[in-house]
Amino acid sequence: MIKALLWAEAYKLMKQSRTWYAIAAVFVLELIVLISAYYQGAAVIDILLNNLKESFYFEGDLLNGNLLIYLILNSLWFNFPLILMLVISGMITDEYKDGTLQTVMLQPVQKKWFILSKYIVATVFTVLMVLVLALSAFLFSYLIFGKSDLIVFIGKLNFFNAVEAETRLILAFLNGCISMIFFSLASLTFGVIFRDTLKTWIVSVLFLIVSNLLLKFDFKWELINKLFYAKLNDTWQYFFQYEIPWNIILRNNLLLVGYIVGFSAIGVVIFNKKDIG
Amino acid sequence: MIISGSRLSKSFGHSIVLKEVNIECKAAEICGLLGVNGAGKTTLFKILLGLLTPDSGEIHCSSKGVKALGGIIEKPALYEYLSARENLKVFARIQGASSDKKDLDQYLENVGLETERKDAVRNYSTGMKQRLGIAIAMLNNPEVLILDEPFSGLDPMGIVQLRDLILDLAKNKGLAIIISSHIVEEIRLVSDRVYVINNGQIVKSGVTAEIIGQATLQHYLCAEHLKASTVLKEYQHTFLTETGALIEIGIEEMPRLMKRLAGEGIYLTSCTPRIDMYQLFRTAQ
Repeated sequence: MIKALLWAEAYKLMKQSRTWYAIAAVFVLELIVLISAYYQGAAVIDILLNNLKESFYFEGDLLNGNLLIYLILNSLWFNFPLILMLVISGMITDEYKDGTLQTVMLQPVQKKWFILSKYIVATVFTVLMVLVLALSAFLFSYLIFGKSDLIVFIGKLNFFNAVEAETRLILAFLNGCISMIFFSLASLTFGVIFRDTLKTWIVSVLFLIVSNLLLKFDFKWELINKLFYAKLNDTWQYFFQYEIPWNIILRNNLLLVGYIVGFSAIGVVIFNKKDIG
Repeated sequence: MIISGSRLSKSFGHSIVLKEVNIECKAAEICGLLGVNGAGKTTLFKILLGLLTPDSGEIHCSSKGVKALGGIIEKPALYEYLSARENLKVFARIQGASSDKKDLDQYLENVGLETERKDAVRNYSTGMKQRLGIAIAMLNNPEVLILDEPFSGLDPMGIVQLRDLILDLAKNKGLAIIISSHIVEEIRLVSDRVYVINNGQIVKSGVTAEIIGQATLQHYLCAEHLKASTVLKEYQHTFLTETGALIEIGIEEMPRLMKRLAGEGIYLTSCTPRIDMYQLFRTAQ
């Protein structure tokens, strides 16, 4: 049964115009970054690095594909998870709104498999969306701006040669998948709880904003700083520290996977317990 | 009995929606559930279909198929962005029914829908959606069909077509069908037996013609020269038009009156029973 349910969820998702609008939105955002960089990027970088240029000699073009990919990667902070949450939460809220959930439950289908299939398809869709973002970012950025060294400011300026930059960007996108899955599945759980589309959207957006704010918030207890979910969602940025902190990355990812499982389990349990009618 | 519910009760908060309701239906039988809006019809159907858990009572269904019950609650809820065949395909696959094009087309043909239409069901009329809803309910060949207000929102032609489909499913395919409506006439035309529900309680049940007949205390008669009738004067009556009068007469006496009017050379052009709703929904003494 689960195989058929997975097929049905994927089929419905890809048949909805909203899904394609979301994919188009990702490309539009990417295009805006590329166009802005093409026309104004060099001037902005000159202003930013004016002081440094007096002390250092920079070889090659700093406005290159790797920097552009890094800028696109930063859409994982807000734009990209926002789009994902709007699409993914709709997978359940639309079923409530249109009453199709009732029609499904009138068939010999088990509730737990039905909702579980939604969580699985949402996960796969999120990973595919990140891959689409990454592949298109690499393709267009290298095509238009070429490949060169990457300069990144995280507390301090870090320089990476072109080959290393490419590897770090790939790792960051892959790691970013986990954060994106977290936000996607959280929005699905909100959909299960609130049922109403608008309420779920508001709660999801609020959750994303609060999560980003709390990321920068310094809790007095170190344990909270280490374990709280909001503190785990910037792990993909760690790949741009000069020395990659693999232990922290592994710990954060394991914790975040735990949060993902927890959020999903809450959604499945609530869905199973609640009457549909 | 294929399906029976006994002593079913349900409350939402402090509001009691169903009180010890008993209902049953056998193969090839159409049972009507008649009640005003808010009487508890939809709640009862949701309980029978397993969407709501009753506070107390039991449901027994002797059907042994993959899908014991098929049904539509309130309105057929479909994936509006999918075509009719795509909707059927999704619902067929999730329950392990055949999703071959040939089989899906057969389901569409069974409910009188075109197999060639490829546009989204958002473009369909309410009647067509009802038919598609019934096709989905019929997937995996359930032996019981539960239809909640299937005639609401349909045009006269749609009502006739749906009524014929329901009668065909019960009489020719042997399904047990429980159908609800607040339109007495529709229940009268399709059902063999009727349950009358009011304030969450079954207040009457029995053969449809008898139950509705008991509540038919007036008839509206039309005929040329009706005013000239002397027989009519024996009954309390009011002329509403030159040729039409509302007569205080029960259904049992009507054949005799018609015969006596014919004896006077007055032949009825129409005879419409007027059902007393207060009488119908009143608790049986």
